[in-house]
Amino acid sequence: MKHKLRECVLVGVALAAMTALVVGEEIHLPQDVSRLRASPLPGYALAQQKCGICHSADYINYQPPGMNQQQWTAEVRKMQQSYGAPLDDADIARIGAYLAVTYGSARADDAAVVAASASPAAGARAAQAGSAIDVPALLGANACLTCHATDRKIVGPAFHAIAEKYRGKADAQSTVAASIRNGGVGKWGEVPMPPMSNLSEAQAMAVAAFVLRQ
Amino acid sequence: MAITRVVPGTSSRPGPDAEPWQLSRRGFLRQAGALALALSPLGGRTAQGAGEDITFADGPRPLVKYPGKRPLILVTSRPPHLETPFSVFRDGVITPNDAFFVRWHLAGIPTRIDPQTYRLVVGGKVKTPLRLSLDDLKALPGQMELVAVNQCSGNSRGYFSPRVFGAQLGNGAMGNARWRGVSLRSVLEKAGVAAGAVQVTFNGSDTPVLPSTPDFRKALDIEHALSGEPMLAWAMNGEALPFLNGYPLKLIVPGWFGTYWVKQLVEIEVIDHPFSGHDAFFMTHAYRLPDNACTCVAPGTTPDRTRPISTLAVRSFITSVAAGDTLPTGRPLELKGIAFDGGSGIRVVEVSSDAGRTWRAATLGEDLGRFSFREWRLPVQFAQPGAAVLLCRATANDGAVQPMRATWNPAGYRRNVVERTPVTIS
Repeated sequence: MKHKLRECVLVGVALAAMTALVVGEEIHLPQDVSRLRASPLPGYALAQQKCGICHSADYINYQPPGMNQQQWTAEVRKMQQSYGAPLDDADIARIGAYLAVTYGSARADDAAVVAASASPAAGARAAQAGSAIDVPALLGANACLTCHATDRKIVGPAFHAIAEKYRGKADAQSTVAASIRNGGVGKWGEVPMPPMSNLSEAQAMAVAAFVLRQ
Repeated sequence: MAITRVVPGTSSRPGPDAEPWQLSRRGFLRQAGALALALSPLGGRTAQGAGEDITFADGPRPLVKYPGKRPLILVTSRPPHLETPFSVFRDGVITPNDAFFVRWHLAGIPTRIDPQTYRLVVGGKVKTPLRLSLDDLKALPGQMELVAVNQCSGNSRGYFSPRVFGAQLGNGAMGNARWRGVSLRSVLEKAGVAAGAVQVTFNGSDTPVLPSTPDFRKALDIEHALSGEPMLAWAMNGEALPFLNGYPLKLIVPGWFGTYWVKQLVEIEVIDHPFSGHDAFFMTHAYRLPDNACTCVAPGTTPDRTRPISTLAVRSFITSVAAGDTLPTGRPLELKGIAFDGGSGIRVVEVSSDAGRTWRAATLGEDLGRFSFREWRLPVQFAQPGAAVLLCRATANDGAVQPMRATWNPAGYRRNVVERTPVTIS
């Protein structure tokens, strides 16, 4: 750009034309630094994972205080029904309970919060199914396939592309496993990958191995 | 502790004997009581910015710097939603481009646009489908320029009581700019609207993250689209549109809420039926008001029927004084503010310093057109110290007047209650 500008001056292009070069044809949006408030409730990891697909945590952080569990749960249900968020009924109940306790008027020991948080999440169910880790079940339960496919980019990169990028690298499996558990942004573009922090290390390693085999 | 907006206990009428600018002892006590009642029961911290005294679950919002913008109040970062600090409106009736509020619905926002290859596609029920460059648009007949208010449907949502979910906006999700472009009618006439056209839909280049999320598209009735009022603008206050306000082309719908002002406009489709389906969500499910005369329901209840939100309600604000300011006694000073409505223009703005018992008409400033902010000014002199609440109330040329009591609807849209600015006279 600097070089170009100098050329412009040299050939005597009008100042207005130079201004046109820098008029906002391209912008870089600041990185989202908002984070959900931590909680021991199981809905916390789910909320990080699912809500973060489409919007920043400040959508939640700047809601009115004092909303109750019914109101928060209805709001999460709206995300599923109106905006197509990949949530099942158990997810909705658990995220609603987490949000109502963390940002609203509910308490962690409310019977309704305990009940909503108690049923194991689909991911946990997949983990408990036996000693063998069921990767297809994990992919389904964590809505991985909402954003990823084997051979084409949807929102995130194709599994093929990930395998290609890490082919022949010694620490490929642990690197991809860490990306799965911690999330990230920048390696594959500006759309952030939400953290799948509900996966155990062993589960993340198994999913990473699966992806790298594609 | 935050002082929230005062909701009047009674809708009082001006008394014939009241002394306009001298606050009686009784009036003072009543105001003090009103303020005490208005203390936030939640005790949350206040939002940053002038008078945006709203509580949030996470405390005050920061000012943030985005491309092409001065520091604005953060509403959300992805997709970006930024509010104009209210103090900006004190500086003049035209809102500077770098201070203009920003609101996107979907996180898939193109961050690079080449104006040379940019094309607007016009199709559907037309005789000649078009692919127009910016230069094509600039060469069409029907070039126009007008000053118009763009206000978010949810502007002031944070003041709703009971509170509702959604972006918790103060009063800064609005702005007034001089837009330059071509009339939508001219573009549709070039394409030739076919018989049986019912609506026209508008799509920007932003996309949802997930395919299961509806795209953001809006529709106008064909009569409105052909009325000559809506325009496609490429310039704002004499410059290219800021990227975050919809560069390179934005639909301007004068007098209508900002939800219709589609940014990065790339597609216009004429249809022979009311807009429906998955991608009509922001017409058929969101941005709707109770379908009755007041567009309101009893707080906390759900309307039986709804209709799409449309025109701006009449509003006015004091801009020269912020909530909590201290004003002097015995010295002449000038109150200043703005008023606007959905396009009939402002007939009168009245100001009260005694909770609405007495009112004085302000002097209206330069008329920049019926869709613009209209400045108002009023010289005042306070005789006695004490707490006071300043009110301003606009009446539009169509007879609509701001209500003393706020109405309520579940989505927190179209707030236009008489604003109350608590001050201390000393």
